[in-house]
Amino acid sequence: MNEVVVADAVAKSYGETVALRGVDLSVAEGEVFGLIGPNGAGKTTLIRALTGTTPVDGDISVFGDDPTAVDSDRIGLLPQSFSPPARLTARELIDYYGGLYETARETDAVLADVGLADAADSWYETLSGGQQRRVCVGTALVNDPDLLFLDEPTTGIDPAGRRSLWELLESLAADGTTVVLTSHSMAEVQRLSDRVGLLQDGQLVAVGTPTDLITDHGGSSRLVIGTETSKTAATALTEGGFAATASPGEIVVDGVSPVEIGQAVDVLSAAGISYESLEWSEPTLEDVYLELTGESFDASMTPSTPADPSPAATPQEADQ
Amino acid sequence: MSRGRRIRAEATAAWHSFLRRKTAVFFTFFFPVILVVIFGALVRTQPTDGGLFAEPAAYYIPGYLATVVLFTPLSRVGSEIARHRDDNRFEKLATTPLTRTEWLVAHTLVNTVIIGLASLLILGLVLLLTDATIPISAELAMLVPFVVLAVILFCGFGALLGRLADSQDGVIAASNTIALPLLFLSDTFITLEQLPGWFTPLVELSPLTYFARGVRALTYAPAAGEPYLGNLLVLGGLAAVFLVAGAYAIPRTD
Repeated sequence: MNEVVVADAVAKSYGETVALRGVDLSVAEGEVFGLIGPNGAGKTTLIRALTGTTPVDGDISVFGDDPTAVDSDRIGLLPQSFSPPARLTARELIDYYGGLYETARETDAVLADVGLADAADSWYETLSGGQQRRVCVGTALVNDPDLLFLDEPTTGIDPAGRRSLWELLESLAADGTTVVLTSHSMAEVQRLSDRVGLLQDGQLVAVGTPTDLITDHGGSSRLVIGTETSKTAATALTEGGFAATASPGEIVVDGVSPVEIGQAVDVLSAAGISYESLEWSEPTLEDVYLELTGESFDASMTPSTPADPSPAATPQEADQ
Repeated sequence: MSRGRRIRAEATAAWHSFLRRKTAVFFTFFFPVILVVIFGALVRTQPTDGGLFAEPAAYYIPGYLATVVLFTPLSRVGSEIARHRDDNRFEKLATTPLTRTEWLVAHTLVNTVIIGLASLLILGLVLLLTDATIPISAELAMLVPFVVLAVILFCGFGALLGRLADSQDGVIAASNTIALPLLFLSDTFITLEQLPGWFTPLVELSPLTYFARGVRALTYAPAAGEPYLGNLLVLGGLAAVFLVAGAYAIPRTD
C-alpha cells in the first residue's frame, strides 16, 4: 500500500522546550491514523510538522513531496483551537474556504455532512460550541481532500453530534480518504483508527492497531463485583482459583473470560456471599493509554477533610 | 482565474466581517469626520504669520486624507494579523492555495474601498464646513492613484507591525506610536518652515510626505501646477516595497 505520509527522525524544540524527539511515522493511503497522548506530548506540533506549517528537523514527505510543496488542493486541515471569522454565517464560512480552492464541494452538501443544514444562516459567533466545531470540520472537508488532518475534531461536540461526525469520517475513510487525527477521546480513536500512535514527551512510544495495542498493553478483562463483604468474597474467589483483589465495597477479578463469569458467581453462592452488582469489561485503548503514559486516577487529588486523614482502607478494614 | 477566485473569496469574507462590526464601521468613518469638524470648523485656519493652522483651509486637505490613509490600514491590517494568529487562521490558510501575497492583496482591496469612501466623506466635509475650494480639472482624478498607492503602502506597513507585535493591543499601541509623528511631520499639518532646519531631511524619509505633496499639488490652488508625478512614482515604488515586505512578514504558524 502507498505511504502517503512519512516522517523520519522529526524533532522540534521551542527554545529549551523539546516538543518532538526523533519521531518516525508512516501513514498509508486510505488509513485512519490516530494520535493520542497527554497534553503537551507533541501531538499538535507533529500535525503542524506534517502539514508544513512549522519548520522541523528531520525528514517529512507527504504524497512524496516536502509538506510545504504539496498540492494544497489535496490537503484538508482542522487546526486545534481554530476560530474562523466570527461574524460570518456557517454558509458564508464554507463558501469562503471553498473559494480558496481550485474546486470545492457544494456548500449545502458540506453543511449537511456536518449536520448544520438548519443553522446554515446563523453567524458563527451565535452557534453553540459544538456547532462551531462542526463548521470548522466542514472547512476542512470543503475541498474534498485526499489527506485530512484533524486536530481534536470533536472537542465540545455533544454525544449525538460526535457519533454523526464519526460516521462521516468512517464514510470518508471508506471512500479512500487518508485521515490523521488527534483526540483525547480514546473511544473515538479506538473506533475510528486503523492504527494508533501514542506520543509521550515528544516520542512515539507505541504504534499499532487498537487491537494489538490492547493485547500488548491493555491488561486482561476484569470482573468487578459490588459487595459489602468484599474481603470474605475475595478470599473465596482466590480459593476458587480466581485472581481477586478486595477493596471497600467491591472485588476486582482479573483475567475472567465471559464463560468464567458464571463460575465466579457459583463460588460466591457456594460461600453464601451476596452481591449487589456484576460488571465485566474488556481492556480498552484507555487502559493502554493509562498503562503506557503512567497516568492514572490519583486518589491524593481528591479533597479530604482534616477530620479524616486516614489512608485508603487496608484489606482487613475493607469489610468493616 | 484561480488567483482571482481566491482573492475574491478572502476579500468578500473580510468585507462582510468588517461591515458586521458596527463599532469598527462607525469609528472608521467618525474619526476623520470629527477631525475635520474640530480643526476645520471649530478651530478653523487663522492665516497669520506663523503657528499651527495658519495656512488656508485647502492646504490641510492632504493632512485630513492622511488620517485615514495612514491610521486605518496600519491598525486594521495589523489587528487582523494579530486576530488571525490568535485564532490559528494562518495555520489553516497555510494549507490552502491562498498565498500570503494574495491574502494581503485581498485585505488591501477591502481597505482601499473603506478608505476611498472615507476620503470622499472627508473631501465633502472639508468643502461643506470650511471655506476651502478645490481646483477642478482632469488632473484631480490623479487623487485616486495617490490614495490607492498610499493604502497599499500602509497595508504593507500594517502587516509588518502585525508580525512584530504579539497582540492586538500591541498592534494598536505600535501603530499609534508610529502614525502620530508621521501624520504631523510629513508636510501635512505642519509646514517645513515651522520645523527646525536640521529636521527637514527627516521629512523626506517619511512615505507620507510624498502622498501629502502630491495630493496638495492636485487640491490646493497655490500649489497647482507643481509636479506631482515624481511624488506618485516615489509613492508607487515604496508601495511595491512595502507590499512585498508585508506579504513576506505575514506569519504561517510560528
